Amino acid sequence: MRPLMVPDPHCASCNGTFVERIENPADDPREFQHVDGAQWDDGALPAGMDAFFAGLQSILRGANPPPPPSVTASSSSTARPRSPEARRSSSDGIRPSTSSDQSFTGRNGPFTIRIERSNTPSGRMRTFVLGGPPVAPFTTGSGGEVPRLSQFTPRNPDGTQQDRPNITGPMLAQYLLALMGPGRAGDPFTDLLGGMFGPAGMPPGAESGRWGDYVFNQEALDQIISQIMENSNAHQPVPATEEIIEKLPREVLEEGSPLLEKDCAVCKDQFQLQTEDPDDHIIITLPCHHPFHQNCILPWLKNSGTCPVCRYQLVPQPASHAPGSQQRPGDSNNSSGSQTSDSSSSNNNNGGSGGGGGLLQNLVHFFANHGQQGSNNNADSGASSTGSSSTEQAPTTSSSASGPGRNQPSSGSAGSPNRSSQRNDDHLDVPGGWGEELD
Amino acid sequence: MAVSSRRLQKELMDIKKEGTPVGIELLKADDFSKWILSVEVLGDTVYKGEKFALMFRFDNQYPISAPAVQFVVDDKWSAPEHPICASILGSEWSPVLSVVSVCVTIQSMLASCKVCPCLTAHTRAALLTGRGFSSA
Repeated sequence: MRPLMVPDPHCASCNGTFVERIENPADDPREFQHVDGAQWDDGALPAGMDAFFAGLQSILRGANPPPPPSVTASSSSTARPRSPEARRSSSDGIRPSTSSDQSFTGRNGPFTIRIERSNTPSGRMRTFVLGGPPVAPFTTGSGGEVPRLSQFTPRNPDGTQQDRPNITGPMLAQYLLALMGPGRAGDPFTDLLGGMFGPAGMPPGAESGRWGDYVFNQEALDQIISQIMENSNAHQPVPATEEIIEKLPREVLEEGSPLLEKDCAVCKDQFQLQTEDPDDHIIITLPCHHPFHQNCILPWLKNSGTCPVCRYQLVPQPASHAPGSQQRPGDSNNSSGSQTSDSSSSNNNNGGSGGGGGLLQNLVHFFANHGQQGSNNNADSGASSTGSSSTEQAPTTSSSASGPGRNQPSSGSAGSPNRSSQRNDDHLDVPGGWGEELD
Repeated sequence: MAVSSRRLQKELMDIKKEGTPVGIELLKADDFSKWILSVEVLGDTVYKGEKFALMFRFDNQYPISAPAVQFVVDDKWSAPEHPICASILGSEWSPVLSVVSVCVTIQSMLASCKVCPCLTAHTRAALLTGRGFSSA
């Protein structure tokens, strides 16, 4: 769908504009950054964070039935388990790079969640560490076996970490993907996610690197892409009914028949009398006057009620190249920019299979929006990214698995109208449409 | 003999008798389950001078069911599983089509397309760095 460009870019569907004018200065999204920073300085986690970690911890512990997370949640606002004083004493130390670990789980547990804070000359930073011992690919970092989120944070050119904690959605997603990467079957985190969504929300194939719309290897990504394309392809042929097949004229070959000069287009053999199988003498001629061996055409008609030669329709077929099919390549095969939304919509069609994806998305949103408690965490990309800060790139996780195909949701007016041209420019590798489909 | 084998044998005989269209070569047809052909894009296109190998896999429903066709990279015939997304290999398949006609279609698609979306990053990188397939 093409946006209307006059006078400002308009969405052709909802007639809304892409640029949001902020009338109330108090809503300036840049202010959220300040609030965010203030919270970090204060040392207080957002209220929901405690509950989140407590819940995560309790799940990770698995065997020991943990206290319900709500207990921690309620206490977090009044009596914080980690008082700012205690934290300062450890984190405002002399050596800026020393970090104070805050373990949420016992070290004997299979999994640890640590929150590190450290001072740098230019400001404080805090790093979340979610991890467990058996992490293969990230052994080079300072954290030893556990992949540290700090490894994923952007760094200044001199190698020091950036001043502010800048946990963006895609970054967190990459981190989580690293945690759950291939070859780590049976690790606690996988079990956690698998267990949480096991019987209820998990789509089949979750074990093969796929949770809902989120994929963890190339194979699963391909699977999703082909699924999208199949879903969009509502052009499956309609088989001929038994009744129609019964009524087709049959003819037995005999000497002098004009059919003997013709070929069966399915087996490419000429009709002939000197065959061993008497069934080969039974010829079906379709209403379009194309003759076939009965044995050749019947399997096809049970597949598609059309003539193989001229596509004459014995039963009405779905419009394949109907008007509007020009739109189909763009719609179905999705430019890079729309891949995520396409896959999620197809997921919605499947009904409730998005449990795994939903969790990750919520996780990502949780981190990306932690400074904005009270604003809706479930906002989709379109709503939450409008005119807001750069940290909100959350819903691109599924495409971030594909590396170069990653994209960022348009955060303003610029992105959407250019989407199609963008695809041509950067030659991304998500299947795009053929300019024209060939028969 | 199964219908698919009989049909493929006939196609094979036709290829050997009458040859293949310009730019298309049969590289390997040892059995009736997997064939490999090379397709060279003719004319002034982005794929000019490149030769791509196509692997056809047939089940015993062929030609009622379409063959699975994909690009293959090197002479080990190994490539990621990226079936080609041409409509004639899906809902538009017809038993009238043949191995050669599919090759001609793909040849023409490659010639008319600026960037072939069938060739995903992996395959295309391999194909382009290797400058296509070097056949015998």
